[in-house]
Parts: sequence; C-alpha cells; structure tokens
Amino acid sequence: MNELDQAGLARLRDGWISGGAMFEFAPVEWKEVATASSPDEQERRLLAIAAQALDVALRPAAPKTLKRRPPLPVLALPMLPERLRPLLRAALKYAADARLKTRVAALVASRGFVLHPMDWMPSVSDQESPDIYAPWVDWQAGADSQKQSRREDLTAETWDDFYPAARRSALIDLRRSAPALARTLIETKGASEPAEVRLALVELMRFGLGADDVPFLKSLSADRSGKVREMAGRLLARLGERGNQADGGSEDSTAELAAFIEEGKSGFIRRRATYAPIKPKSQAQQARRADLFASCYFGDLVVRFGRTEPDFIGAWQFGVDDGADLFLVRMVAVSGSDEAVASLADLLAAAGGRLAILGLQLTARLDSGRKRVLVRQILNDAQNLAALILVEGAEAGWLEWSDLAKGKTLPALRSAVSGDNDVTRRNAEQYLEAVGFLASPVSAEKLIGEVVAAGLPPASPSLSLLRLNAALAGNPNQMINPEKIA
Amino acid sequence: MQLDLKTIEALAPDQASLGAAAKLTKRSNWPRLEAHEQLPLIWGECQGSGSNPYRVAFDTSDHGYKCTCPSRKFPCKHILALTWIGATAPASFARVDQTPDWVNDWLSRRRKPGQPPATGPARAEGKSIDEASRLEEAPPVEDAAAAERREAAQRKRAEDTRSAVSAALDELDQWIADQLRLGLAGFVDASSERCRRIAARLVDLKATALAGRVDELPAKLMALRGEERPDAAIRELGKLVLLAKAWRAAPDDAELKRLVSTSETRDQILANPDAVQVESDWEVLGEKIEARRDGLVSHATWLLDLKSTTPRFAVLLDFFPASAGRRSGAFAAGDRFRARLVFYPARNPLRALVAERLGDVAPGTWPTFAPDAAGDPLAACAAFQDGAPWLSDCPIILPAGAIALDEKDGAWWQAASDPHGIALPVAGSVHQTLLGIDLAATAALWNGARLELLASQSSIGRLDLS
Repeated sequence: MNELDQAGLARLRDGWISGGAMFEFAPVEWKEVATASSPDEQERRLLAIAAQALDVALRPAAPKTLKRRPPLPVLALPMLPERLRPLLRAALKYAADARLKTRVAALVASRGFVLHPMDWMPSVSDQESPDIYAPWVDWQAGADSQKQSRREDLTAETWDDFYPAARRSALIDLRRSAPALARTLIETKGASEPAEVRLALVELMRFGLGADDVPFLKSLSADRSGKVREMAGRLLARLGERGNQADGGSEDSTAELAAFIEEGKSGFIRRRATYAPIKPKSQAQQARRADLFASCYFGDLVVRFGRTEPDFIGAWQFGVDDGADLFLVRMVAVSGSDEAVASLADLLAAAGGRLAILGLQLTARLDSGRKRVLVRQILNDAQNLAALILVEGAEAGWLEWSDLAKGKTLPALRSAVSGDNDVTRRNAEQYLEAVGFLASPVSAEKLIGEVVAAGLPPASPSLSLLRLNAALAGNPNQMINPEKIA
Repeated sequence: MQLDLKTIEALAPDQASLGAAAKLTKRSNWPRLEAHEQLPLIWGECQGSGSNPYRVAFDTSDHGYKCTCPSRKFPCKHILALTWIGATAPASFARVDQTPDWVNDWLSRRRKPGQPPATGPARAEGKSIDEASRLEEAPPVEDAAAAERREAAQRKRAEDTRSAVSAALDELDQWIADQLRLGLAGFVDASSERCRRIAARLVDLKATALAGRVDELPAKLMALRGEERPDAAIRELGKLVLLAKAWRAAPDDAELKRLVSTSETRDQILANPDAVQVESDWEVLGEKIEARRDGLVSHATWLLDLKSTTPRFAVLLDFFPASAGRRSGAFAAGDRFRARLVFYPARNPLRALVAERLGDVAPGTWPTFAPDAAGDPLAACAAFQDGAPWLSDCPIILPAGAIALDEKDGAWWQAASDPHGIALPVAGSVHQTLLGIDLAATAALWNGARLELLASQSSIGRLDLS
C-alpha cells in the first residue's frame, strides 16, 4: 500500500468513526473499484477494500521499548523427562498450597531432576525450595542470568555479584563448612543492608550455631530493628545465654509465666520435682499464658525453677493440659538449646501416641536420625497419620516398606479407605500425600497396591505423589540438603 | 464383565435411546474399545456427530458411567451401545492393565453409590432390546412416490432457505450501511445491543451461522484496546460485506453455505468425494474453548500435520450447549496420533473430522519449516486471506523468536532475527516464565490484530500455550 492509499485509508477511517458518506474522500483507485449505483453500496464496497487493506497491507507497529527478560538460567540438574510430566502435574494439582508444591519439587530434586518451568516455578520470596532452584528465584526477582553464571565463591569481594537466593544458598553452605567466615561476612556486609535483609541474614546463623557466635549475636542487641534483636535473642537463648530486659527474656514476663506452672513432687522413695501447668481461670488468662510462652525464652524459664533444660523437660507433666504441652514444645523449638530439643524429641518419640505428634513441632531443629525415629513412631501408632504432612525439613524417599508394614499404619489405612467416614478417608488421603514424599520408590509402589486393594480408586488424586515417586524409581536419591527441602 | 441385556434395558431412559444405541453397536463406530484386566471397567471412543469422538466409560460393578457427549438423556445412547457391545461381544474389547487419563479423571471425581445398582423387570417396562434390535435390522422401506414427495419437499425447503438467506443478507447489508452512516464510534459503544438485534433477524431468516458470527463481534471488539476498536470494526464489517457478496455469487458453494447458514453433517462430509482426505501424523497444538452469546460453547482443537513440509493445520470444531457443563475433549495438548482426517471442502481447508484413528505417535519435535523468504512471519496469512478474505483466524507457524513486554505490560512476540523490527501483539496475558525462554518455533492464530498462542518448541521442549 502506497502513501496515498494509506492517507486515503486514514481519511475513510476518521470519517466512518464519526459517521457519514466517505466515498468522495477515497483514493482514486479504490473509487474506481467501488463505484456502484447506490451510495450505500459504494460505502460497503469501500469498507470491504479498507478491511482487506487493514488485514493484509498493514502490520501492527511494534513499540520501540519492548522489554525482554534475560534468558531463564539453566539449572544444574536435567529437566524431568517429558513422560513423567503428566504425573508431576497431577501431584502439583493435588498439593493444596505452595509449601506442599515445593515438597513435590523437593522429591523430584532428590531424584536428580528439576521441574519444567511452565509446570512450577519458585516464587520471588521462596526460601523453602531446594537450593538447585536459587537461580530461578533470582531470575524471578529480576536478576541478570549472565551475572549469576560468573559467580565464584562467596567472599566480601564477590558479595555483590550474588543475587539474594544464590547468596543465601552460598551462605548456608559456608555456615556449615566455615561458620566463622560466614559470620564475618554477615557481620560486615549485613550492617549496610536494610532491616528485612539483615533479618534474613541473621536467621541464617542458626546453621552451624556455636559459642563463637555469641559476641556477634550480643552485638545485635543494639540493632535498629526489633525483629533482628528478637531473632538474635532467640539464637542466644539456644546457646544458653540469658535474655535481656529489652527483648523477649524480660524477667517480669518470665516470672509471670512461671506463675502459670506449679512445682510439685512425686515418687515415694526418691522424691523428685515435677512441673505441671496450672489451669487458667479465664479466657484472658489463657491468652496471656499463650503470649508468654511465645515471647519468653525457655532457658530463662528453667532458671527460675533452678533447673537445667533437660531436667525441666523430664519433670514436665505432659497430659495435664494439652494446650500448655503444645506451648512448651513450641517454646523449646524456638529458644531451647540443642540438648533440650534432642531430649524433648526423644521423650516425645518414646511416649508415642499424641505426644509423638507434638514432636513434629520440633522437626525443623532435629537431626535426620531423630526425625526418622519420630516419623516411624507416628507411623507405628497410626493415631493421626495426616499430621505427617507437618514434618519440616525431612529428607525425601527414605521410608522403607518395613517401616510402614510393621506398625498399625496399614490396618488403619485399609480401614480408612474402605470405610464410609469421609473425615477418616480425607485424613488417610493427606497421609498418602505425606508418605508420597517420604517413601522410597519401592514403598510407594507397594503402598499404592495396598490402598487400591483396600478400595481406594486407583485413579484417586491422593495417590499422585506416590505414583510420581514410584515412577522415579530409576533414579536413586541424590544428595540434597534436607534442611533446604521442606 | 458382568453385563446382560436385561440390565441395559433397565438402564435405558426410553425405547428411543435403545433404538439409537442399537445403531451404534457396529464395531466401525468405535475406534477404541478397551476393558481393564482387573478392574470392573470398560471404556471406548465412539465416533458421534461431532468432530471429536465421544469418550465413554462404564463401571460394570455399580453401573456408573460417563460420556462426553452433550446428550441430556442419562445414560445416553453411547453408554447403552458400549454396554450392549460389552454384553454381546466382549471379545471386541482389548484387555489392558492401565486406564487412560480421562478414565482416571472420571474415577477420581465420581462418588460410588452406597448400594448396588437396582435392576429388574419393573424398570425395563416399556423398553425392549429385542424391539430395538429389530428396528435396526429392518429399517422401514419407503415407496417410490413417498421418496419423490420427500425429495420435492427437500427441494422446496432448500429454495425457501435460499430466499430467506438472501433476504437476510439484504438486511445485513442495509444494517452495515446504517452503522457507517451513524458512525463507528457509536457502533463500538453500542455494538452489543445492535449486533444482538441484527443477529436475531438473521436467525429468523435462516442465516444461522452468520448470526452467530455477528453476535460474537462485540466480544472481539471489547478484547482490544479502545483505540484499536474502530479498525477492528472496519475489518470485521468489511469481511461480512465480502462474505455476503461471495454467497450471492455462489449460493451453492459449500464453504459459503457453511459460513452463512448451516453446516453439513458428519455423514455428508464423509460421503463427499470432493472432501480432501489426509492420512498423516498429527499433533494437538491446543484448544480454543469459547462460550458464545447464543448459549453454545465452541470447542476448537487445533492440529499440526507432522509429515507436511509446509505448515498444514486442521481444526476439529464442536459445539455444545453451555448448560451441558464443562466437557473434556478427546485430545490433550501435545497428544500425537496417526489418523485419516477428512476436511470440509473450502478454499483453505481447515475444519476437519477424524475419519479414522490409526494409533499413537511417539513424542518429538516439529518438522523444520522454511521461513518466508522476505522474512514476513505473516506471509502465510496474506496467502490465506487471498483465498478467503472473509475469514478471521489464520493459523501460522512463527519462526524463532521470544516474548517481550511493552510499557503497559502487553505481550508481543518478537522475531529473534530482527529484535527491533517485526513484532506482533499477543492476546491476553502470558505465563511470566515464557518471557525468559527462547522460542524455536511457535504455532499461533492470527486474527488481524492479535496472536493467540497455541504451542511452542523451545530448548526445554514443547510448551503448551493455549
């Protein structure tokens, strides 16, 4: 189309927009084609020519400022084979929230694959997905993938070459291998970061936490951010350092909390101390007690009673008040020492039943062995199998068939899937999802057979993660840091 | 398989359904019939009147069933036919140990009844398998005079339809001229009401297909930015003018009749010697499902010929009432299969039927199509428009490119070879991840203003974009 035609088309267009006969304003060649006996027919013919001109001769004008994203970084593991993607999509579809979807990604990563980016992508703020996805997290945040590809070891000099997710991943590795070096980096580089970033950096101190970290953590008591001070206080509490008046460990609060706990004695020959919660007299007292358990440090509390942390745990009367039991376990998880956490986990796992399920509150701080003991105990009891979905930081694909077959799990499952009780059945389906992550491929395959034989439809979506797990049988577990998986 | 004819009689909603089912029990109607080795399940694909086969599944233990057809009879004739074959010719079912995804999908969503199915003579009252079988075996014989009367009536009806459609196009012409006189600015603002009114007239005058197209025009306009709407109105109204003129010039042309009044039936297409038939490997590029203002849902499944050296497409088009609820298609994006397709006769044959499905094809990449010599990604559209300028959606394969965003976060496909030149706007929003993936080739529909992405090939494999 030449310039005259284009100008003519523009005139026709403008005229038709406001309305009226435009034949006289058409390009000469168009008029020759469009001439007809009636004015309406002439306009229609012109309209047909204009339509063709718009369709064929004109192209949409591309804006000059089109923005392209940098290429999506290629991850260090291969992509899940195409044939397994339908199974994966089914598992992702069944996973109810971002945390459970991340768990699916973790299972796949543990077998040496990453997901297709059109199936799943970690979010910008994702800190739970396996390390392998750090470049994608940074890409989501707008990072330049070229820059990432140049990265070396994390040092003060290369600090700015790392985008946040990759830096976080590198710092965790460094805290494990050279904690002092990582601490120095957090100390020197974190000071100039905004509060939100400082908080995230200080939070990483929990990896490889040790006595050498005390001076730095204490120095944070002067930090501008209350959240940073609080985080540092909790970490200090884990190291056995008493809280200070300004944050969390207030003497008054601890005393108030201690007043909710009754000291007693038990045993006829060897009298020993016991600690039991006092029943709150009102809703307000109940709420206050919950607040105090959440804000005080466990170390400060036990000192009030003149006990060590493990002693206090051993003397606590579980079962008197379920709410207080839960608050105490959470308190230990947040501010208890490693020794306290381990002894509480051992106690709860040994007790089994409802108490073992309480132990799931501790899983973020448990070593791999204790987590497994706890999960096995819960399976053995089969009281609330759906609670397994709460296990944090667990490794994928270790649960063997003997773990499932020897306890009450299988009978409980069979009864749940074959029964008419919707609640029990739903719990069983949640359990299947949880075990879909924990089970070895062989266990997954066998479990599918068991529940289908018991009456669960073979196509039940609750089996999707188990099916994916079983289908990944050809790929043994890779070494993926469990702390970074769930 | 524990099926007997008494059960089927009891299940049938009425005698007519049994009669219809009897006609579907021929093996040729069922490209796929399978039964599970262990589970009490049978399923199949029945070639119905739609372009996609209907997917039919039946649980022989509790008589639960599922069919993707739009029938409002429960169970429909396809279910009855499947069970009928199951009862009388169980050997027709291939024994398999795995259920297909669509059967799994149904199984996972259905609730098993608490009690076993009730069957018995009471429920079979007034319905007879024997009678239905006899009907099929002995169709009524028409005498010569009756046949002549029927043909004369048919001719009369066709003549009446032609006159009515001609009158409809006269009204459409006048209406278009009125819109130009009144101004397209006002037309764009009031297009919903104005198009609805003329569409109703077109329906009255038997230009049903054209009425549907006019009725959809407001939705097309509203999908664009305000400043683009007048151009789109010119394009669409101009195409209607061209279509009306073409129909007047050749009212018996099959393609034009289909676009203006009614479409041929499946049987007519299959029996048409002029219909192009292509046996090849096909990949399902994607689906386009649109709820229309006339209460129908149009379900288009776009296919790519994997054996052709130049891009060749086919579209399987089905319509069903929106009130029938969501229907699962016979194919999923990315499926590959070998089949013989029969194309509806047209200048650019696109709409097709699956005449025969000949098995699945292994996954792989698309053939490499030579790009246009002049580097114009829309060159194929220009040729397409030369043949049939009244059509809107043109399927194309775009060369290597990527998706970029403009200042308003609108998505554009941009050619890799010319990052500052050719770019085409993309309809709707795109998956953000797509912005970081280089696309080796992209299948899309170009409607003159926007690209509707169907699928892409990339370094990380096939991408479903529809």
